[in-house]
Amino acid sequence: MAKPTVASDWLGGCAGCHMSILDIDERIVQVVELVDLRATPITDLKEPDKAGVTVGILEGGITNTYNEEVAKRMRDRCQILVALGDCAVFGGIPAMRNFFTIEDALKRAYVDTPSTDDSGKIPSNPELAKMTIVRPVHEIVKVDVFVPGCPPDADIIFYVLAELAQGRIPKLENNNLMWN
Amino acid sequence: MVTQKITIEPVTRIEGHAKVTINMTAEGKVDHAYFHVNEFRGFEKFCEGRMVFEMPSITPRICGICPVSHHLASAKTGDIVMGSPPPRTATLLRDLMHMGQIIQSHGMHFFELAGPDLILGFDADPAIRNVVGLIQADAGLALKAVALRKYGQEIIAKVGGRKIHPTFAVPGGVNRALSSQTRDEILKNIDEMIAITQAGLAIFKDWAAKNKEDIDKFAVFKTGYLGLVTPENGLELYQGDIRLVGQDGKELEKFDSNNYLDYIAEHVEDWSYLKFPYYKKMGYPGGVYRVGPLGRLNAVDHIDTPLAQEEFETYRAINDGQPIENTLHYHYARLIETLFAIERVKVLLDDPDILGRDILNTRQNFKGEGVGVIEAPRGTLLHHYKVKENGQVEKVNLIVSTGHNNWAMSEAVDSVAKTYITGPEVHEGLLNRVEAAIRAHDPCLSCSTHAVGQMPMIIDVLDQDGNLIKEIKRD
Amino acid sequence: MAKITIDGKTIEVENGTTVLNAARQLEIDIPTLCDHPELTPYGGCRLCLVEVEGARTLQPSCTLPATDGMVVKTDTEKIHEARKFVLSMIFSERNHFCPYCQVSGGDCELQNAAYDEDMTHWPIQPNWQPFPVDASHPFIILEHNRCILCRRCVRACGELVGNFTLGFEERGADSTLVADLGLPLGESSCIGCGTCVQVCPTGSLIDRWSAYQGKEVEVDSTKTICMGCSIGCGIDVLTRDNRLIRIEGDWEAEINGGLLCDIGRFHPMVEERERLLTPMIKADGKLKAATWEDALKAAADMVSANKGGLTGVVSTRASMEALGAFKALCEANGAQTMLTTEDCQAVSAIYQQAGSDSSPSEGGISDLMDADCYLTFGEDITKDHQVLSFFAKRRIPEGAQLIQISAIPSGLDNFATVSLMVADDQLDKFMVDLTALVEEKSADVEKTASKYHLDISELQSVVDALQAQQKTAFVFGSRKDFSDSAAVVTAAKGLAQSANATLVTTKGNINSLGAAALGYAGAGEVKGTLAVMLLADEELSQCIEQKFEKADMRIVFSSYVSSLTAGADVIFPVMNWLEQDGHFINFDGHILTQKAALEAPGQVLSNQEAIEKLVSALDVKNQMDWEKEVKAFASPVKIA
Repeated sequence: MAKPTVASDWLGGCAGCHMSILDIDERIVQVVELVDLRATPITDLKEPDKAGVTVGILEGGITNTYNEEVAKRMRDRCQILVALGDCAVFGGIPAMRNFFTIEDALKRAYVDTPSTDDSGKIPSNPELAKMTIVRPVHEIVKVDVFVPGCPPDADIIFYVLAELAQGRIPKLENNNLMWN
Repeated sequence: MVTQKITIEPVTRIEGHAKVTINMTAEGKVDHAYFHVNEFRGFEKFCEGRMVFEMPSITPRICGICPVSHHLASAKTGDIVMGSPPPRTATLLRDLMHMGQIIQSHGMHFFELAGPDLILGFDADPAIRNVVGLIQADAGLALKAVALRKYGQEIIAKVGGRKIHPTFAVPGGVNRALSSQTRDEILKNIDEMIAITQAGLAIFKDWAAKNKEDIDKFAVFKTGYLGLVTPENGLELYQGDIRLVGQDGKELEKFDSNNYLDYIAEHVEDWSYLKFPYYKKMGYPGGVYRVGPLGRLNAVDHIDTPLAQEEFETYRAINDGQPIENTLHYHYARLIETLFAIERVKVLLDDPDILGRDILNTRQNFKGEGVGVIEAPRGTLLHHYKVKENGQVEKVNLIVSTGHNNWAMSEAVDSVAKTYITGPEVHEGLLNRVEAAIRAHDPCLSCSTHAVGQMPMIIDVLDQDGNLIKEIKRD
Repeated sequence: MAKITIDGKTIEVENGTTVLNAARQLEIDIPTLCDHPELTPYGGCRLCLVEVEGARTLQPSCTLPATDGMVVKTDTEKIHEARKFVLSMIFSERNHFCPYCQVSGGDCELQNAAYDEDMTHWPIQPNWQPFPVDASHPFIILEHNRCILCRRCVRACGELVGNFTLGFEERGADSTLVADLGLPLGESSCIGCGTCVQVCPTGSLIDRWSAYQGKEVEVDSTKTICMGCSIGCGIDVLTRDNRLIRIEGDWEAEINGGLLCDIGRFHPMVEERERLLTPMIKADGKLKAATWEDALKAAADMVSANKGGLTGVVSTRASMEALGAFKALCEANGAQTMLTTEDCQAVSAIYQQAGSDSSPSEGGISDLMDADCYLTFGEDITKDHQVLSFFAKRRIPEGAQLIQISAIPSGLDNFATVSLMVADDQLDKFMVDLTALVEEKSADVEKTASKYHLDISELQSVVDALQAQQKTAFVFGSRKDFSDSAAVVTAAKGLAQSANATLVTTKGNINSLGAAALGYAGAGEVKGTLAVMLLADEELSQCIEQKFEKADMRIVFSSYVSSLTAGADVIFPVMNWLEQDGHFINFDGHILTQKAALEAPGQVLSNQEAIEKLVSALDVKNQMDWEKEVKAFASPVKIA
């Protein structure tokens, strides 16, 4: 039987959850024996296989229309979708932006900061992804496994990967369940 | 006339979201290449109203690779704002944690992000041109790489409680002391880590010798260079004055971070979301400068630790003492800094004050505003807060490492695209080289786009005679 | 009694016991959020829902009284679904950012409740309406985004402290915690006691200093007593790496039951004074660091040279052990007088008059717990000895009367049933006249009212209250002198007797009574040529400092630099209150134990050790048995 395939991507997050994946250290050798790592931000395949992967992992929440597209594409192309980290599960720290209007946030960055020179203005290019309210992934697509944490500890991630690699849905409880 | 558009999306083996589009003419010449970053979160706005002592816990979420840099820069800003200079032990412990960060981040970048290009080759099959491919090609080397990164992460966890997003530094100091047992645990592996770093240096030098032509034509251009220095202008990654040297390597300015607005401004282009920091006196774009390993090693005169200094002398001799301009030498400089960081860990741990318990200055002399600075792995990081008397943050301005390199990265992508893509046949390896131009800078796009959207570039399109046909900006 | 069965286990409980408490007796854990063992049940959060046989819906166990024959289940599928739903609702109501919150990762009861239900995400999203952060208070920060509307703080502020600053305004989704009628906390009637911070289950109410200093599992906790005043509240001192993190009230302490005031909870967090780390000797007009050996020799020489001409001065923050050793030192060297830093005639008068009473006449804490009438005078107990005011204020909603006699506006003005404004120099005479009214010896309320410029009906109501034969407690204290302090004390005792009231006097500092028991005179003048001063870690007022500066030569035992150390001839550095053990006798006769929570720096010794070193350097034996002395002392209040 072919090894389960795993693809991952990051949305409106900080990459900390993927760094936490790397914190499994030497266990990565075990993991790549059990699964086939396909498109991830640290491999050179650019998108999840059109033919589909077994497990899709998303880090980061939905902060713009591009994130929505990526989330939907991952959901389409995977059997089990994992929301990794507090941003993907809850919205996370980027959701603090929801307290302000997007307009205000942009104005602060491009016009008002003291180091911005006279050229300061809010860029208005139509090619840019549109900002949206920051939301968790499951507001856009169905999520099968939630792995909260900011980031989730490497031991928890290893547990999740090991379970999925062996065809089981991981159950997060006790020491494997931490939201911070 | 544009006939073909090539898109590289996303740029992989970097931190953050980026996409490159290259427009080609019928003759196969690059028309224009753009570097877009597609993320925006807005930390400078949504931190308003939070308490200043929460900032060292909020701002690390700007980046999961260098959270410690933000954590410490934020605490340092808090020190100034609250008028609570930290006790010496606290400064040593923060410095120690930061060295762990440098080791982890640089180590990971060289071996796991950039490494596949150097070790497996730019043209290797994309399906294996990654860390997994490394494991399969040379498991021993891969495990060494893992061990180096792990060492750095474990320093962070041992000192601060957690590998990613630790809560350790607070305005006025830190919240836990170091035990002698923990100190000994960290000291144990120093030699092994030095050996791994030297193995990395050997790999790079070996590759450099075989690819000298590439190194000399891959994104080589002039800029200024910026970084923190010791009072004697030695390499300094935790605290110090900011030094700016010009294209000729001569010092232009040396200043305290609290005065950064006198020297650094940010330019905004209508078509770009990432601002372009530059040296005010020379205007934009004449005043652009590079930061990070290449920038820092051009801005300093020496390194205080012996092994790193020896390597530094070899490195700076490459261009007869003139600044090193070759983008691919970022990798070399990065390893030298890793060596420095490991040696510095030993220096810090040998300091008797490192075990002290006077780790927090609770006296306050409220100033209300401050700029904390630190050398993140990718470059100079500035946190500037304005705080109300009640402790609530009123305004936040962040100039984040990779942002300083914005112009340089745009320039590098353009340069590499034009150097290597010379005909209508564009195979994947050539596109990978364009990505490698970005990768060399080890950009942290989540960091730099704390408030940013896309990052396009300008390409000048020249005809065969070198005349400027047009200047193209990506919207 | 009611026999109740919970999860198959049966127990018989007192009538009125809630199902929650019955379960606790059976060691069955029902999760709660708004409930707190020290507060009346509220039933607001609905997390404690249980299945009751025969009931149509799930019932909140915290407010449901157990009835005979009740059968309850706490661990069914239905209940777990309900708990998850309750928690979902709570999370969706405000904005909970666990990643960076100070209490996240073990200290948040809301987060822990979610973990207990294995919640991995929020089924319902918040609508991201922003709520403000109130950082107006010098000690307390109120983060409305994390508030779960449990109202523990409101109940604590009212039921425990009696201040009633906190409340709720608006309804439904707009319900918000407010101070007074909507003022920033720092501008409100909040007294900064921090009880709300201690009971808050989330990171909504936090103090400014302990944030990010360590989770509860990372810190050490020491039970000791507060030294802020003579009450001796029991506290838990949280420390980490030999650093003070936070002070909390010890709920199990007999005296204060967990209550603390701002002086006990927050003031110790800010120490601006310079610490003395080594002994010092004055040479050529300048103080220079010296070894203990040299300093002891210099001091011993000075004492020997001034035998018969020395004044001993102690801080009443020093322990019985230290005071006993100091007494031995003074007696062996012919001290002319033994003073304390309290220097208050009123307090001294209390001790002097107790000497002529046949038995202790005063009451204590237990008398303040359930009195129906309180009379306070002499000091503003909302500023000093504050916890006593909590006991009085919180009885007001139950119908207790609070009568205040005060010369100036005080913090009780908004609480007192009646406030009588009587000048300090008339206080003793007034109380004598009031006694006469109460005993109906002179029935002229009008004349008395006119004499002291008081409202007749107000005075009449006070007389009525004191004649009413209800449980009455008088609280008297003073840090200053009256024109005839002794007369004030005599008059107070007389009035208490006539009203059949229990008199409680606050006396001063933590070991005021202990010092008196050992024979320290309290107030008085410095006599002779040499003052030996055990200042401990006390922060002295300017006038006390000026008074003792009059001594020509000074040997000072102190933790911190002050004007008295600056002009000293020999200085010995001593531990502060967190660094040493000792016994103290508080205002109502409890013998309390102080336990060290921190290690002292440098060459600093405890008060006791330092004094004993000087004692042996003078070849004196310390045979002081403080317990024996205390037993022989005619105390105004029974010493347990």
